[in-house]
Amino acid sequence: MTLWRILREAFTFSDLSRGERIGLALLLLAITAFPWVVRDGFARTVAVQFLLYAMLGVSWNFIGGYGGQIDLGGAKNVGFGAYGVALPMVLWNWPFWYGLPLGVAFAVLESLVLGLGLLRLRGHYFAIGTLAVALVWEELFVYSDWTRGARGILLPFKRPPDYAYMQLTPVGFHYFIAALFVFSLLWLNWFRRSKLGYQLRAIREDEDAAASLGINVLAAKVKAYCISSVVAALGGAFYAVYYGFIDPDSVMHLDLSIMIAMTALVGGAGVLWGPIVGAAVLIPLDRYLGAWFGGGGILGMDFVIYAVIIMLLAAYQPKGVAGLLDAFARWRAQGSGGGAARVRPVGGR
Amino acid sequence: MDLVLDIGISGVLMGLVYALLALGLTIIFGIMDTVNFAHGEFLMLGMYAGYLTYAHVYPDPLAGVPVAGATGLALGVLAYTLLVKRLLLGPPIAQIFGTFGLMLFLRYGALAVFGPNLRSATEGLVVARRLVAGGLTLDAAKVAAAAGSALLFALVYYLLRRTRLGLALQATAANREAARYMGINTDLMNLIGWALGGATAGMAGALLVNFYYVSPTVGMVFSMITFTTVALGGFGSVPGALVAGVLVGLIEVITAQLISPQLKLAVIYLVFFLVVLFRPRGLLGAR
Repeated sequence: MTLWRILREAFTFSDLSRGERIGLALLLLAITAFPWVVRDGFARTVAVQFLLYAMLGVSWNFIGGYGGQIDLGGAKNVGFGAYGVALPMVLWNWPFWYGLPLGVAFAVLESLVLGLGLLRLRGHYFAIGTLAVALVWEELFVYSDWTRGARGILLPFKRPPDYAYMQLTPVGFHYFIAALFVFSLLWLNWFRRSKLGYQLRAIREDEDAAASLGINVLAAKVKAYCISSVVAALGGAFYAVYYGFIDPDSVMHLDLSIMIAMTALVGGAGVLWGPIVGAAVLIPLDRYLGAWFGGGGILGMDFVIYAVIIMLLAAYQPKGVAGLLDAFARWRAQGSGGGAARVRPVGGR
Repeated sequence: MDLVLDIGISGVLMGLVYALLALGLTIIFGIMDTVNFAHGEFLMLGMYAGYLTYAHVYPDPLAGVPVAGATGLALGVLAYTLLVKRLLLGPPIAQIFGTFGLMLFLRYGALAVFGPNLRSATEGLVVARRLVAGGLTLDAAKVAAAAGSALLFALVYYLLRRTRLGLALQATAANREAARYMGINTDLMNLIGWALGGATAGMAGALLVNFYYVSPTVGMVFSMITFTTVALGGFGSVPGALVAGVLVGLIEVITAQLISPQLKLAVIYLVFFLVVLFRPRGLLGAR
């Protein structure tokens, strides 16, 4: 797998439908032009959040979407990335770029070691397992003095733009997260077209059949799980420098794990652009609801609405928006060509 | 020696409550292979039902137990009829994130309706009372909770083993298709499973109000403890729920004593992993 081949695969979108390609192109355009067109501070923070959560949703997609293994503990990797950057910065004045590989490496190592055990589990056992792992890590981070426990870590202030410590202007942060997001999307695109991606999908459809075909199920799952951790950790690292303050409640909490999984599920797990649509639905919902309710304050109302969305989707359309589009396309095809009409599946191969 | 006895009894008392919780969850799993992620929230709402009865009807949390039972039963029935029934038609992923959604709905709904403040009961027959027996001093509230749990457990056990309905439930759990051929209405069995699960969780919650604080967020912790208990006992095994419940109760107090009270949960989750990795069928399970 030469670098050239990998890059070429990552940039190949030809197997997606025309509508999808146009959509992605428009998205790229919108992301690039956004800071020049929109000046409102609040809208800008929403955009950054959108990109961050879309990226985290993409990370979930590797193992949860294409792999079909419901990971309910994604937040731990975000936490590792965030603490990996924040702790050395506060303790030894390490720049962002030194802390980043530290956090990512820890996330991968942890996923490798625990994954070898966890990923032998199936279905709800795995889901509960990931939940338990994430909860344990959160407890440990709250309990330990090394990580500053529940007090959290305040990152040292550096006058922007500081590229060593990644303290940037609002526009700078926008492009930073945009770059990270595009990177993760390209990775996912490579993944879905790669042998590993095929293996994961085979495993998702029927694990035993996949194994009987000679696929090393555990190895494939662990690889996908590790990739997922890297991307999530990158998101965590960004979170640390963008918000300037982290604590277990913000970067390792169950609520974050839920949001990550939801972002992918709402848009369509196992679909390239699923997390993007999911984030596009959930983030504005969250931000504007939060602003609406936050003033008068009915605590928890936003999650109540998410919960209703999740339940409705689970009951009627587990494939999310992508599933709705698929159903719509099939309904349209029924009218014309009938059985002979070939409906292109959403999200390419 | 006294300390050992103290810890042992403490563990067993709490363990019986866990056993009751595990019973509800294991029944639901046994009958329809679904893990109810919202089980802890049924308990939490049972706690609120019990507390509100205490606060507005009769100042003793014990009075809240039947109310909580009815609430839990209603919740279970509603959850099944409105949601789970449809979830069963879909892929397993739908069941997981469907009951997970239910958990979120109940938890944050409770947060929105009741607010985040902790409440606790301050008066009642067993609230903050000591029981002295055979040279030991026990917390009467915990003894009452344990006794209530044991009683309910026994009642459900009797239902399952000695009544026609119970046999039908067991048959459905053992082999769904065959049960249907025998003329058992498996859909009704599902419904009853959820009703039982909800009712037992609700009553466990009300029993806890005698000594535990009431808050919308307690659900998650109890859910995880219950998952551990059910995994340890064996998914679908009723005797397993009892044995595992007591074991988990003991593990909890021993950890608190020997390691640290804050790491209680971490150790319990660790137990969950060890069980699920090395003995997935649990101590007494069949799968």
